[in-house]
Amino acid sequence: MARTRGLEGDRRRKALPWLLLAPTALFVGALTILPLGYSVVTSFREFPLGQAPAFVGLQNYRNLIGDANFLSSLETTLVFTIAATGLEFVLGLGLALLLKQEFSFQGIIRSSLIIPMAIAPVVVGIIWRLLYNADVGLFSFAAQALTGHSVSVLSSTTMALPALILVDVWEWTPFMFLLLLAGIQSLPHEPFEAARVDGASAWNIFLHLTMPMLRPVIVVALLIRALDAFTVFDQVFVLTQGGPGTATEVATLMVYKTAFRFSQFGYAASMAVALLVLVMFFSAAITRAFRASV
Amino acid sequence: MPRLTSSTQRRLWFGIRVILIALALIITLLPVYWMVNTSLKTQVEVFTSPPTLWPENPTLSNYINLFVRRHLGAYLLNSVIIVGSAVVLSLIIGSLAAYSLARFAKAGLQDKVNFWVLAPRMIPPVALVVPMFLILQQLGLINRKLGLILVYTAFNLPFVALMMRSFFQEIPVDLEEAAMVDGASRLRSIREIVLPLASPGLVATSIFSLIVTFNEFFFALILTSTPVAATLPVGTAALIGKTQTLYGEMAAAGVVAAVPLVIFALLVQRHLVRGLTMGAVK
Repeated sequence: MARTRGLEGDRRRKALPWLLLAPTALFVGALTILPLGYSVVTSFREFPLGQAPAFVGLQNYRNLIGDANFLSSLETTLVFTIAATGLEFVLGLGLALLLKQEFSFQGIIRSSLIIPMAIAPVVVGIIWRLLYNADVGLFSFAAQALTGHSVSVLSSTTMALPALILVDVWEWTPFMFLLLLAGIQSLPHEPFEAARVDGASAWNIFLHLTMPMLRPVIVVALLIRALDAFTVFDQVFVLTQGGPGTATEVATLMVYKTAFRFSQFGYAASMAVALLVLVMFFSAAITRAFRASV
Repeated sequence: MPRLTSSTQRRLWFGIRVILIALALIITLLPVYWMVNTSLKTQVEVFTSPPTLWPENPTLSNYINLFVRRHLGAYLLNSVIIVGSAVVLSLIIGSLAAYSLARFAKAGLQDKVNFWVLAPRMIPPVALVVPMFLILQQLGLINRKLGLILVYTAFNLPFVALMMRSFFQEIPVDLEEAAMVDGASRLRSIREIVLPLASPGLVATSIFSLIVTFNEFFFALILTSTPVAATLPVGTAALIGKTQTLYGEMAAAGVVAAVPLVIFALLVQRHLVRGLTMGAVK
């Protein structure tokens, strides 16, 4: 039997949803939204050594636009993001198609493919340091066997960035694979059966049925991966520290160095704000483009 | 070219599939195996050419050195304390929010709340790191466990709220309402009906938060530095500079940091896709 509601009980019932939300809002507000605002404030400041921070207006942003190092780090980041995300998508889709039908050992295969994702990026860096290393690495041993001279992949200006992309592809292709596999397996059977009855080729079914129906999953997968790749830091920090020279200096690493090696907090904050704006702009553009083409 | 009969064609395709899958497995597992292999070798054997495919005189000396000489135990303990606290805190706080979102929010509000819960998650860490450092410095929380616990809790919250909401939504409202009609208070119906049904979700969500937080490096690197508070990834990265060519120790540190997490990830496999997309794909 329902209890009679007093006026006070009614008020309490109305407040309950908000009371439950409040602690989360407080935490996220204090430790995400507030720092974000403070980031913008910091980007208008300069931090001279031993003195109080000074307001410098748009000076940091003006410097940023003309900063060749920043622009080149953006370019490096963009190359890294597009190459890594693209390769991961193609390989992940291929794997998902290979493994979509029931298969013996499917469980074990799936589990094995998950392993790279669970390993901390720092450890992934260590793994590939061991492989790339010129003295003890498997890669240099193979290169020596094939070409006759040892190669130090990570200290080559031309090979360091592709080497980092390969590391990212190794770690995150399983992510694309898992998402696309889940997407493929959740598609309805009827359209595919109908197409097969009508005699459509496997390629046509893939192109005109699978891909369009998978689109929402593809958008989510690409967005998540691209956003993560755009702010890659850990593996680069462990493997190359941005070198040789600035060949692998991605944007996040540059912000890190500017703030915590050179103590230019204001300038670093302006870079971070610029990156945030770019990220928001690109994710909005990608989402809209895909929505429009559905 | 002779036309292939459909059965040979099928067998050929099957063969290609097996080879490609085997290749994917080798590429995935060989690097990991190589780290384990290196961690069990002596310093001399690490430098043998050609490299040995398995340790000829397997030794645990690399692991022992890490704990005796390189504070790995302290880093590990810091990680356990920081990650444990942050996961428990965010799970309690985030589940309250998730319940509220799942049960009370109307469709229109739901969309708005979705945005406000999801938006903080989309902010790249790099946009927060400078102000976070300056704020925690003011509060005297740099290189303190508490600082990182607070930061990690805040980062986990949007994820926990979204994940738990999707688990709560799968529990029929009717069950709860029936209990309340029978006179149970909302609190009691949550405790006796919702929580038991949501417990697999709670476990999956906490393991996910645990993996992400345990592996986090960027903020840990900036906010902690010494064995007083630094986490395992930071300690491991610091090792690389200190050990120079002691690749065996480097590998052993990697194994210590990786093994528990791989086990945890395999435990939540079933929910992996949902976790990776924060409930966007099930």
